[in-house]
Amino acid sequence: MNKKLLGIIDATNYHEDLQELLTHRSMAALPFGGRYRIIDFVLSNMVNSGMNSVAIFPKLQYRSLMDHLGSGKNWGLNRKRDGLFFFPCPQCEYDHKRIGSFHHFAANLDFFHRSTQEYSLITNCFTVFNMDFRPLLEWHIQSGCDITTVHDKNGKALDIYLVKTSLLMELVQTRNETRYTCMEDVVNDPDPLFVTCHYKYNGYAEVVDSIQSYFKTSMDLLKPAIWTRLFLKDWPILTKVKDEPPAKYTRESTVQNSMVANGCTINGNVENSIISRGVQIGKGAVIRNCIIMQKCQIGENSLLDSVILDKDVKIEAGTVLTGTPRFPYVVPKGRVQGALMKS
Amino acid sequence: MVKKKCVAMLLAGGKGSRLNSLTKEIAKPAVPFGGKYRIIDFTLSNCTNSGIDTVGVLTQYQPLLLNSYIGIGSAWDLDRRDGGVTVLPPYSESQEVRWYTGTASAVYQNLTYLKQYQPEYVLILSGDHIYKMNYEEMLEYHIEKKADATISVIEVPWSEASRFGILDTNEEKRIVDFEEKPNSPKNNLASMGIYIFSWNTLKEYLEMDARNPRSSHDFGKDVIPLLLEEKKKLSAYPFKGYWKDVGTVQSLWEANMDLLNEECELNIFDYDWKIYSVNPNQPPQYISQEAKVKESLINEGCSIEGEVEKSVLFQGVTIGRGTRIKESVIMSDAVVGQNVFIEKAIVACNVTVPDGMIIRPVDDEVILVTKELISGLYPTF
Repeated sequence: MNKKLLGIIDATNYHEDLQELLTHRSMAALPFGGRYRIIDFVLSNMVNSGMNSVAIFPKLQYRSLMDHLGSGKNWGLNRKRDGLFFFPCPQCEYDHKRIGSFHHFAANLDFFHRSTQEYSLITNCFTVFNMDFRPLLEWHIQSGCDITTVHDKNGKALDIYLVKTSLLMELVQTRNETRYTCMEDVVNDPDPLFVTCHYKYNGYAEVVDSIQSYFKTSMDLLKPAIWTRLFLKDWPILTKVKDEPPAKYTRESTVQNSMVANGCTINGNVENSIISRGVQIGKGAVIRNCIIMQKCQIGENSLLDSVILDKDVKIEAGTVLTGTPRFPYVVPKGRVQGALMKS
Repeated sequence: MVKKKCVAMLLAGGKGSRLNSLTKEIAKPAVPFGGKYRIIDFTLSNCTNSGIDTVGVLTQYQPLLLNSYIGIGSAWDLDRRDGGVTVLPPYSESQEVRWYTGTASAVYQNLTYLKQYQPEYVLILSGDHIYKMNYEEMLEYHIEKKADATISVIEVPWSEASRFGILDTNEEKRIVDFEEKPNSPKNNLASMGIYIFSWNTLKEYLEMDARNPRSSHDFGKDVIPLLLEEKKKLSAYPFKGYWKDVGTVQSLWEANMDLLNEECELNIFDYDWKIYSVNPNQPPQYISQEAKVKESLINEGCSIEGEVEKSVLFQGVTIGRGTRIKESVIMSDAVVGQNVFIEKAIVACNVTVPDGMIIRPVDDEVILVTKELISGLYPTF
């Protein structure tokens, strides 16, 4: 049954609340959990669920996303048959809050025609979860519904839709008559043309759509009850691998309740934080409740509390930066932050 | 086939019998090292970093894991349209099956592989050593010296010289004498088992050696002495830096500890000379509230709730609460229970160390902790 489900990941969304982290990248390429991009979760779920064909519908800026996905090799999607497809649509315009733009699909209708999968799974790219889509497909087929939407354990819609590929093509082709612009329109029509059913997913699933939810979901990873459910040996979250050496802890370092990726050198003190690949932390530095992205350099004796450092940020020695869990202090990519630049 | 200036032949059939049960099921080049690597990663990365894109890997002893690890060479960027990695196992001919009886016979039996590329030079490497070296510079040196063969040499302590192949050179670094493991060494320049041959010399002398029934078909014991006898021009390429043959459990442990030493010349954090390896794609390591980690190297997928000091942890290791790990190497996916104490040991892959177990060295000798050792002590565990 595996081959029956086609994966469609909408990577066109944009959340203004995350603007500071999205100036250089698309939402899908948002770094998460020390070594992942947020799209890795849904993409890995698809691959782990046995889906062989995954189409990504991106929007500018997709350079970092393309760099991340490459040929799809890290997800086993560099295939001769099926595999990973990338469909940018420079002429498309979007409502960037909604997923599954029929306009964008219409520009690539050939792909749907060529696909042999009977069903299509249309998802967003920004949910942190570890979900098996096989029971969902089973459930959908048995229910006889036209459209199945996935909801989390609190009943909140997760922006995930399962439909027959033929119905999806029909919806795309008739969009001018029906005025439906995306899947959300179809299921929310007060006078519905199709039967929609709700599938409840009881596992961990968090939508990242703001700095607050990004910060909270990241910090969730430090709870063993959550990370042990999210990162399973037989259901790995796959990502672009890098050849970083193991993380190095020196005599002066203290690290507590934190996630640390490879390639880091830690000379300072780290608590309740997520430290991404290749980060260097100087002696006497204190990093508390922080998300430090790839290749940041943190100078000696600096103090960071509730801070998000985007990639390649350099914090000079003795700098003090503090935010709050509700309003973390965000330093954009590549910035050099000196001790006197922020009071 | 596209002609290649220099092709490498990597000898990876070593048994490494002094590594005890670590090499029971895998060849020595596949032995894990440094928290995420296998020994052969260093040589293969050196090839890529030196611009050598055609590498024949000669396997024989326990090749399953090594073959699957090398795959098509993509981890080292050696999956090339022209050249790349080719695993070369022994094979049967119309008359007989020929095992690789020595380093020279292994290369001799694959002259057909080399001929495809019409190389000008052949680099002979061993997959048993940990070091970083630019083979391109050695090749330039070989060309500049107009040598028939060049041997890379390193100064070793006089007290250890009798363990190595020792070379005597004149002022122009031309090799005048070579002795394999001499009882009373005249010099302390040891051969590193890295040779560059000009193609014609290699072909001629390997064929000559193959015809000699008294030869053990070894580069050090037979081919190099023969070249010297025939007054061929052999030059010594002096290498300075970290180089280690991890032949024993003790030396494997020492090499791992070397990585924790700030003064160690083997820098695995050098972005200009990366050591590539097959990356297992595991989550970041989790260090708990109770954990203490000092002076250690820790790989992805580890979960640490105890104390880790001066140790090297491979991917997917679990360290329980109240446990202390000191000066030890814990290989991948080992599970160390609670309230365990381990000092100066190597815990092999996938071993489960039961709660409360105490492992410390006797007579300062490194302990190799294997499944057999644990089940011998805890038959019901």
